Amino acid sequence: MIDFLIGLFLASLITALFTTRLYRLLMWYALNSLTLGLLALLMGSRLHDPALLISGGLTLILKAVAIPWFLKRLAGRMHLVRQIRPNIKIQYAIMLVPAILVFTFYLAEPITHMVQGNANYVAVSISSLFLALLLMMEHRNIAPKIVGFLSLENSLFLLGTTATGGMPMLVELGIFFDLLMAIVVINLLFAHEERKLS
Amino acid sequence: MILMLFAPILMMFFASFSRNAKVMRYLPLGSFIILLPIVRLFMLSKPYPLWGDLLVADDLDTYVLLVSSIVGIGVTLALMRLNRRVEVSARALRRFYRFFALFWMGLMLSILANHMGLYWIGLEMATLSTVYMIRSNDEAAARKEAWNYMIVGAIAISLLLFGIILIYASAKPILGEDAMLFDALKAHAGSIPSPFLFEMGFAIATVGMFVKMGFFPMNLWLANIERASFYPVAALFSGILESAVVVGFFRFSDIAQLVNRSHLFGFVFAYAILTIFIVAFLIYRAKDFMRLFSLSGIEHMALIVLFWVSGGTFAALLHFGAHAFLKPALFLSTGVLESQGRYHIAGALRGYRGRGGALFFFLVSLFLLAIISLPPSPMFFSELYGFGAMVDTATQSHHLLAMIGAILLLLGLLGIIFYRFVAIYQSMKYEGQEESKTVYGSELLALLIFTAALAALLLPSSMAFLRSIA
Repeated sequence: MIDFLIGLFLASLITALFTTRLYRLLMWYALNSLTLGLLALLMGSRLHDPALLISGGLTLILKAVAIPWFLKRLAGRMHLVRQIRPNIKIQYAIMLVPAILVFTFYLAEPITHMVQGNANYVAVSISSLFLALLLMMEHRNIAPKIVGFLSLENSLFLLGTTATGGMPMLVELGIFFDLLMAIVVINLLFAHEERKLS
Repeated sequence: MILMLFAPILMMFFASFSRNAKVMRYLPLGSFIILLPIVRLFMLSKPYPLWGDLLVADDLDTYVLLVSSIVGIGVTLALMRLNRRVEVSARALRRFYRFFALFWMGLMLSILANHMGLYWIGLEMATLSTVYMIRSNDEAAARKEAWNYMIVGAIAISLLLFGIILIYASAKPILGEDAMLFDALKAHAGSIPSPFLFEMGFAIATVGMFVKMGFFPMNLWLANIERASFYPVAALFSGILESAVVVGFFRFSDIAQLVNRSHLFGFVFAYAILTIFIVAFLIYRAKDFMRLFSLSGIEHMALIVLFWVSGGTFAALLHFGAHAFLKPALFLSTGVLESQGRYHIAGALRGYRGRGGALFFFLVSLFLLAIISLPPSPMFFSELYGFGAMVDTATQSHHLLAMIGAILLLLGLLGIIFYRFVAIYQSMKYEGQEESKTVYGSELLALLIFTAALAALLLPSSMAFLRSIA
C-alpha cells in the first residue's frame, strides 16, 4: 500500500508538470497532498507514532482540502489567467522528466545506503523535490509557481517521513504554521493587486 | 525571561492594528522596548536555558541579538520620517510594523534556537514577513521583487530544510529525536554513524543559507530586491536577517568541522572566493548606492564565513558586528543621498547646510571609509586578524601554494572593491552639481546610534568579550 501511495504521489506530481490549466493543476496538487496525508497516516499507524498520525491528519485537512480550495477561490476572485502554458515544450518535458528521475536515483544512491527504512522511498522523495523545482521554473505565471512551492514543501515532508521515520512533532507543527503564514502573505500580495485594479 | 523577550514584540504586533494616531506615533518606541530584555539576557550567565533544550541563550546568540536590536532601533527611527522621503500610506506603515513584529518573533526564535527545526521555522517566519515589507513600497518593481523574493527565498529555505532532514537522518540512530539539537550533535559529532550523509546535509543546508545571503549564483537577486524596496527594508535585510542566517551557518559549521574540517574548509573557501570574484566585478559596475551597498554586503558576508571556517572566530564576530552596524547606516543614508534621484552618485555628498547637514556629511564619509576597512574601522582589525587566520590555516595545509595563491587573489579582488569605493567617494564629494538636501533629526539620531555602537565595538572590553566567545 505504501508503494502504491508513493507511486501515486510521484505520478500526480509528474502529471502536474504537463498541466496547462490552473484549476486542473490545483486538483493534481490536492491529489498529491492526499496521497502524502494517507501515507503519513499509514506509516504512523504502522510505527505507532502519534506525531506522524497528527501530521497526516493535518496534511489531509490543510493541504488536500483547505489550501487548494482557498487558492481556487483566490484565482476566481482575482481573475487569474487559467491557461498556464509551461515554458518547456511538452516533447522536451517528456524527455526531461525520466532524465531527472534517473539522475536523482543515481545521485541519491550513496545516501540511500545510509538511511534506515526503504531506500527507494528516499530516492523518490529526492526526485520529487527536483520535479517540484522544475514545476516552479517552467511557468512564468505566479499561480503555478505557488503550486510548485507547495509541492516542494510536500516533497520535503515526504523526505522527512521516509528518511527519518517522521520529524519531531514540534517541527511538523512549525512547518504547518509557516505554510499557513505563507498563504496569508500570498493572500495579502494578491489583495494588493486587487485594490490596484479596482 | 522568555515572556519578557516576546512580550514587547507581541505588544508591537497588536498595537499595529490600532488606527489611533497616537499609537502610530509611539510604535517606533517598540524597538527600544525590545532592546531592554535583550540587554538583561546579555548580562545573565550563560548558557541560559529559556525553554528547556530548545531555546538556549549563549554568548554568541545574545551578542547577535544585541547587535540586531540596536539595528532595529536605527531602522524604526528612520521609519519615522519615511513618509517625507517616499510615498507611503498610514495603512502600509501599520502593516509594515505588524510584519516587523512577526519578523522579530521569527528572528528571536532562529537566533536563540538550539534546535535545527526551530531555527528553520524562525528563519522561514522572518523570510515570509519580509515579503510583505518589500511589498509596502507600492511600485511595480517592488511588487515583482516581492514575488521574486517569495519564490527564490522559498527555494533557499527548502534547501536548508532538505539539509536539516539529512543531518537529522544521519544522527538519529544514535541520538533519537535529540539529533535535532545543535549541542547534542556537537557533543556526538565524532560518533555520527553516517558522516557522508551528514556532510551532504551540511553542504545542501549551506547552499540554502548562501543563496539566502546572495552568494553565487544568486548575486544579483538580493541587490534587485533591496533596490526595489524602501531603504529601511534593505537595512533590515543587511543588518538583521542576514545575521540570523549567518548564526545558523556558525552553528552548522561548528559541528561540520568536528566531522571533517578539511572538507568544510575546502567547500566554504572555494564557494566564498567564487562569490567575491563575481561580486567584485559587479561592484565595479554598480551605478547606484543601493546596489553598491547590497553587493558590498554579500562581499562582507563571504569574508565573515571565510574568517569563521579559517578558525578566526574573533575576526569573524568583529567583522560581523561592524558590518551589521555599518551597512544599515549606509542604507539609511541612501534615503538622503538619493533625494535628487537614484543614479546621482556625483555630488551626493554636496549641498548639506547647517550643523545637521555637516554632521550627516561627516558621518556618511566615516561610514564609507569604514566599510572599506580604513583604520580605525573595526573592519580594519577584523580583516587583519581574519587574513592572519587564513595564512595560519594555509601554512598548516598540504596545499600551501594554492592557498597562498587564493589568498592573494582574494586580496586583489578586495583591492578592486577598495578602488571603486574610493572613486565613488571622490565623485560624491568633488564632482556633480551642488543641490540642497534635507536631513531629518530622527535620521541623524539613527546614524549617531550606529556610530556609537561601532565605537563601542573597539572598546577593549568588547574585544575581550568577542575573544571569550571565540
